[in-house]
Amino acid sequence: MTTLHGQRLTETLESCRPLPPEEPNILQTLLAVQSVLGHVPPNAIPQIAQVLDIAEAQVAGVLSYYPDLLTQSAGRHLIRVCMGESCLANRSSLVLRAIQDHLRVSAGDNEPENRFTLEQMSCAGNCAVSPTVMIDEDLHGRVIHAGIPSLLEPYR
Amino acid sequence: MKTARLHLSNDTSSLAAGAGRLADAWSDRPEIQLIRTSSRGAFFLEPMVERDMPGGREAWFNVMPEDLPRIVGGIGGTPVTEIPFLQQQTRCTFANFGITEPLAFDDYQRRGGLKGLAQAQSLSPESIVEELRISRLRGRGGAAFPVWKKWQVAQQTGSEQKYVVANADEGDAGTYCDRMIMEGDPFRLIEGMLICARTIGATRGYIYCRYEYPAAARAVKFAIQKALEAGLLDFDDYPFDLGVVVGAGSYVCGEETALLESLEGRRGVVLAKPPYPAESGLYGKPTVVSNVLTFATIPNILANSGAWHASLGTEGSRGTIALQLGGRVKQPGLVEVPFGLTLHDVLDRFGGGLATGSRFKAVQVGGPLGSLFPESQLDIPICYDAFADAGAILGHGGIVVYDHETDMVELARHFMAFTADESCGKCTPCRIGSVRGREILERIQSGQGTAEDLTLLSDLGATMKITSLCALGGRAPYPVETAIEHFGEEFRQGAHFMRPG
Repeated sequence: MTTLHGQRLTETLESCRPLPPEEPNILQTLLAVQSVLGHVPPNAIPQIAQVLDIAEAQVAGVLSYYPDLLTQSAGRHLIRVCMGESCLANRSSLVLRAIQDHLRVSAGDNEPENRFTLEQMSCAGNCAVSPTVMIDEDLHGRVIHAGIPSLLEPYR
Repeated sequence: MKTARLHLSNDTSSLAAGAGRLADAWSDRPEIQLIRTSSRGAFFLEPMVERDMPGGREAWFNVMPEDLPRIVGGIGGTPVTEIPFLQQQTRCTFANFGITEPLAFDDYQRRGGLKGLAQAQSLSPESIVEELRISRLRGRGGAAFPVWKKWQVAQQTGSEQKYVVANADEGDAGTYCDRMIMEGDPFRLIEGMLICARTIGATRGYIYCRYEYPAAARAVKFAIQKALEAGLLDFDDYPFDLGVVVGAGSYVCGEETALLESLEGRRGVVLAKPPYPAESGLYGKPTVVSNVLTFATIPNILANSGAWHASLGTEGSRGTIALQLGGRVKQPGLVEVPFGLTLHDVLDRFGGGLATGSRFKAVQVGGPLGSLFPESQLDIPICYDAFADAGAILGHGGIVVYDHETDMVELARHFMAFTADESCGKCTPCRIGSVRGREILERIQSGQGTAEDLTLLSDLGATMKITSLCALGGRAPYPVETAIEHFGEEFRQGAHFMRPG
């Protein structure tokens, strides 16, 4: 963690410190950290546990449980290909393969130049205009595998 | 020149279909006034642009930026009232969709909003529960539990602190109506929650919204702020506190006990019931947890009476159901109709048949834990009883159509892998069973399967159904078993399958 990261982590955690009798909320604390740092670095667990006054194992348990809590920094853009049933029926596996081929990256990994991280997701709630690719907060519907290069171009 | 008043949906799926490109391209056109509304739910027509005309609204479908002159010239529009997909629906909970600006509080009131809440304020808690009992409303999240019973238990359980929680963790793939409500008519959700809070005497409410719905969370937060400013959260003797809490991508958090664990910030693990949340829920206090759609259905029941609601639908399934069509249908979108239409009717009249180039293979109703139906079983009426009799579920109303190219072995593997990924790990049948199930299907897929594997899968399924703690493990075998039942050849055939010995 850089000094800047450390400082922002400390500030964020201060705002999450529970005021008794309020109970600490581990998940919301981790989401707050992620919103500031982009992910939750595992080496921040001791500091988080200390501020919330709970065991480190409790923090680690919550961090490892939730798929949307990231433990390593993502690329500049997070691409999530929906693998929900409506998207699957509309050939999202071809879309996923096209992105993998185009960026030469496999799902769950960062691209070498760190511009993109590729992930699968279970459902974006965009089933009526599937298949869906979510890039950062932008949802793209009716994606066809042949259109992948032009879809990704604006994010380069 | 008179400006043309145009309406364009700001719904996430409309944007994903290209509505944002239209808004950008037309942002500085003086000849139009562009109003951003919710979506009608006819997503196959999106981006759809509507225009106020002397005879009512007219619509242009699948619009491109260069279509503006045609729209301004009034050429080629279709009266909205003549769109068959919408014409044949009974819009009650979704009556405002495509019409109002989602965050305009006066729009909401002008369209009959807050009438339910006003009615509730004139009734005793017992009378409100009675009205719900008469309505025969069942929870719309999937479990279909009678809503009045939850409210009655929470109302009668004494406690200083009680909670109302909206389950907005819409995780079933193929469903999106909760997202539409939160983005498109958030005051309806808030009104339903306020009626519940007043009835049971709750002091705090939470909307537990999934991480994947950032726009929905923003819309609801904004709407809560407006409700606060309008004084709606000032109850007679105390202020009601309402907030949005965002989850982090765990499917099982849609189960109510896991949701409450997650709301308290812990791992979203399922707890054994009883105690039920209505007696002992969030922080051990009486809590009504209901789906977003359930809360959004409440205002109309109070405004129009429980008897009105009970007059719609079938014997055991009163009111309307919000079906969400997806997959390889020609016309995917939101369909609100009274219970009772057959699955075939819905796919035919609303879905418009299969997408171009596709032939029907199977349809799945009720999300990733729902059963698959082959063509020969499409005459089943859409209601809780008929589906229960068939060992199936309506779930949250998701309907996904698979076409002839679908590999059923791969699909079955996908379902088991999904459960293995999402299992909270609390109970063994789900935690271990889903992994073993996935392994068996992978073995069959790789051509290493034997006849015993299908028997093993069937035994495993029977165990998971009976012994799992919640519906994730308990329902996971159904899509797999119905795939084998109706498409067994694919599991047994040729290279996929070796004979024992």
